[in-house]
Amino acid sequence: MNCQKYQENLPHTIDSGGNAEEEAHLQSCTECASVVQDLKYIANQAKLLLPMHDPSPRVWQNIQSSLRNEGLISEGRTSLMAQKTISQVPSSSSKAFSARAKSWTPLGWAIGLAAVVLLGVVLVNYHPTPTQPEVAQNSAAGQAQVVADQELIGQVSKQQPAMRATYEDSLKSVNAYIVDAKKTVEDNPEDSAAQRQLMDAYDQKAMLYEMATVRSLQ
Amino acid sequence: MTQAKKLIAPGLTEAEAIERAKSGDAEAFEALYAFHKRRVYSLCLRMTGNTAQAEDFTQDAFMQLYRKIGTFRGESAFSTWLHRMAVNVVLMQLRKKGLPEISLDEMLEPLHEDGPRRDIGARDNVLAGSVDRVNLERAIADLPPGYRIVFTLHDVEGYEHNEIAEMMGCSIGNSKSQLHKARLKLRDLLKLRRAEKANRR
Repeated sequence: MNCQKYQENLPHTIDSGGNAEEEAHLQSCTECASVVQDLKYIANQAKLLLPMHDPSPRVWQNIQSSLRNEGLISEGRTSLMAQKTISQVPSSSSKAFSARAKSWTPLGWAIGLAAVVLLGVVLVNYHPTPTQPEVAQNSAAGQAQVVADQELIGQVSKQQPAMRATYEDSLKSVNAYIVDAKKTVEDNPEDSAAQRQLMDAYDQKAMLYEMATVRSLQ
Repeated sequence: MTQAKKLIAPGLTEAEAIERAKSGDAEAFEALYAFHKRRVYSLCLRMTGNTAQAEDFTQDAFMQLYRKIGTFRGESAFSTWLHRMAVNVVLMQLRKKGLPEISLDEMLEPLHEDGPRRDIGARDNVLAGSVDRVNLERAIADLPPGYRIVFTLHDVEGYEHNEIAEMMGCSIGNSKSQLHKARLKLRDLLKLRRAEKANRR
């Protein structure tokens, strides 16, 4: 078995494993091992990608208009979009929270406020090249975030124990995304796409807090 | 969580919304749209790498959903069913637009014209730990269309090769081959970007 032969078969063996001869080659060849390690790493990282983007409101407007044109829905129907569903990331977290404020319990207030404060502190204080006091402030915000997350999981565990694992996984994913996006922004402060990704990641986190609050009221 | 209990809006479970949408309830359909739009749009965006096309295909997918929701029998999760519908919409639209599909020629071409991959200092040059999700998203967007579609379906969305082969009208071997080439291409793109970044410092 040489590298050429091994790599020719790789599309068919990389996910399921090769035969004894191929495995032996992999153990002894640093170059092929490096290729396999990288490709598996890419595949594993891809599994961690989240659906991060929302379509513009224009998409729903077009759908509504098409449905009307085809006579599938009637004119003059009140749009539900004014009442946001729990999956929808608020375009402005504070607006969404204040819209629901009247019906919130103390728990809802606490969680919602934590999310808003978290988002606000980070966004206001975040600079690509922080000064010493900003580093300390960001570190404090990071610690507050960890405490808020633990608080959230604690509340979910009490009210909806079955949802605990889901929230833990979601928080873990979104926190990892935030770390990645922040790192990219730090590396490329002028990169507007990276800044948008960071905002999206924070939006997702705010959404998780909002979902927990809404569900606690059910 | 079961579909029956999954809340998609305050006081509305997914199962209730589906049943109401089947009866033509537009508000229930709107709730389904609001709950699933992000995942469907992200899928379309990753498959096309183009926001305008992704929005068009998202619209088509939900129009298709409205017309076909009456045929949903609950044999799979609703999100799985909708997702598959969205994939089919994207593939169908891409075919209509004459964008690249997997061809037999690609399948038959040698994997590497210059022989096996060789990296100088390979052990010190592995990607592990050095790629964040943001850069991976960008590299995926830069893949050639055929590679991007198969990579998105398999590695991001979790479809099996037999499902991809069925959806794309190609062989399982072809799907595996395209996926492998996509991963190799991504590896090159990610290493190139890492090197560029290192040079800037």
